[in-house]
Amino acid sequence: MLAQVIRLLRENPELSTLILCALSSVVLLTLPQAAKDGISGVLSGAALSPLKRLAMTIEELAHVRNDNADLMRLATDLAAERSVLVEYREENRRLKELLSFLVGFPEEERLSMLPARVIGMPGSRVIERIEIDRGITDHVEPGMAVVVPQGLVGKVVRVFPRRSLVEPLSSASSAVSVVTERGRVRGIVRPRYVGAAELASWNLEYVPSSSDVVEGDLVVTSGLGGMYPAGITVGTVGSVADGPLTMRVTLRLAVEPSTVEQVFVVLGSRPARQQGVAAPAAPARTEAAGAAGGND
Amino acid sequence: MRAATLALLAFAAVVLDAALAPHIEIAGARPDFLVIVIVYASLLMGARAATIAGFSAGLIAGAEIPEYLGLNALALSATAYATSKLWSRLVRTNALVQCLVLFAASLTHDVIYYLVYYRNHLDMFGRFIARFGFLGGLYTAAFGALIFWLARVRGWRSITDGAHR
Repeated sequence: MLAQVIRLLRENPELSTLILCALSSVVLLTLPQAAKDGISGVLSGAALSPLKRLAMTIEELAHVRNDNADLMRLATDLAAERSVLVEYREENRRLKELLSFLVGFPEEERLSMLPARVIGMPGSRVIERIEIDRGITDHVEPGMAVVVPQGLVGKVVRVFPRRSLVEPLSSASSAVSVVTERGRVRGIVRPRYVGAAELASWNLEYVPSSSDVVEGDLVVTSGLGGMYPAGITVGTVGSVADGPLTMRVTLRLAVEPSTVEQVFVVLGSRPARQQGVAAPAAPARTEAAGAAGGND
Repeated sequence: MRAATLALLAFAAVVLDAALAPHIEIAGARPDFLVIVIVYASLLMGARAATIAGFSAGLIAGAEIPEYLGLNALALSATAYATSKLWSRLVRTNALVQCLVLFAASLTHDVIYYLVYYRNHLDMFGRFIARFGFLGGLYTAAFGALIFWLARVRGWRSITDGAHR
């Protein structure tokens, strides 16, 4: 009988393989639980766990592409949102500055100011005009001063129903009557151009020789001529050189016209502070300039 | 070479079963990649190789449940042997025949496995086979159609011609 079975198995290797596998399976199934746990542990540790880890890695890699796409989308959205927020933050900062500027004056010196937004800057190399979004309907009139918290920007030269054109200090025809805040020395601020439209410097003209002007002196509007209210910052003295009749004084402007975004149109005016103001170097010229060119 | 191919097949089956099957589950039914691999092993390599591949893959895959260690090995090796015997009586070049063999093999495996698993609750065995066995078998058979189409496109003549030995 046994010999017959052995012969049958020898003649049929496929069947013998199945029987061997089946017997092995049955043996495994009937092992004590502790032995099963041990074998399972070995098989899991040696084969199944690495395979599962591999499977998990493959699964994670499959998700990485989607996660990456999601993160890219999120990053793009956040970048766009950040740009908007940065813009709001800057606007908020500017508005706060304007507000503090507006309420910073004592009650008796407070100017009546109209906030306006810069909507254009016509001109080529030099900014000749600044366009603002306030006009006749807002009671804006030609000749009104335009300022920012840092100082004087220019004056209104043309008015339309809902917009106006401002001539900035950098305009070639600009001239402003000023006074140094410390020494109370008067003069006229003009831009000096070289070539076609190359702004070389800002000069404080008609300052008498040996006047009390030093580098760093704050220069403000004098209020003379009635165009600009007195006390608005124009800039600081850059360099000083004495001459036989007048001093050669250059100025650093407080406001760069190309950078302004929000401005104030001065509707009311502050009277000139006469006390302690030095005699004007060329009053006739100043008045003439104010009368002829509409400059201060 | 033959042993390496067998080991690779068993490895691929376990990886596919662990990594892919859970993600393509439909109504609780999954394709049985272990069965797919041993069916094609029996078609291409014969009963002996398929039986060994089934035993090895079943032993590794079944190690997750120590109480039933060896059960999956038994079910898969028996299915592999039965399938290889079945192939010899069929026209193996027909796609539908290959799908039907996959369906029958999947069902055979489930019947062997869950008959032992639910030996004390035969009513549950019947419900399980009715609920998941047939659906899983159909799902597995669908992969047979996919593999046959892929074999035809790629020119794997051993599968489309049902070649063996």
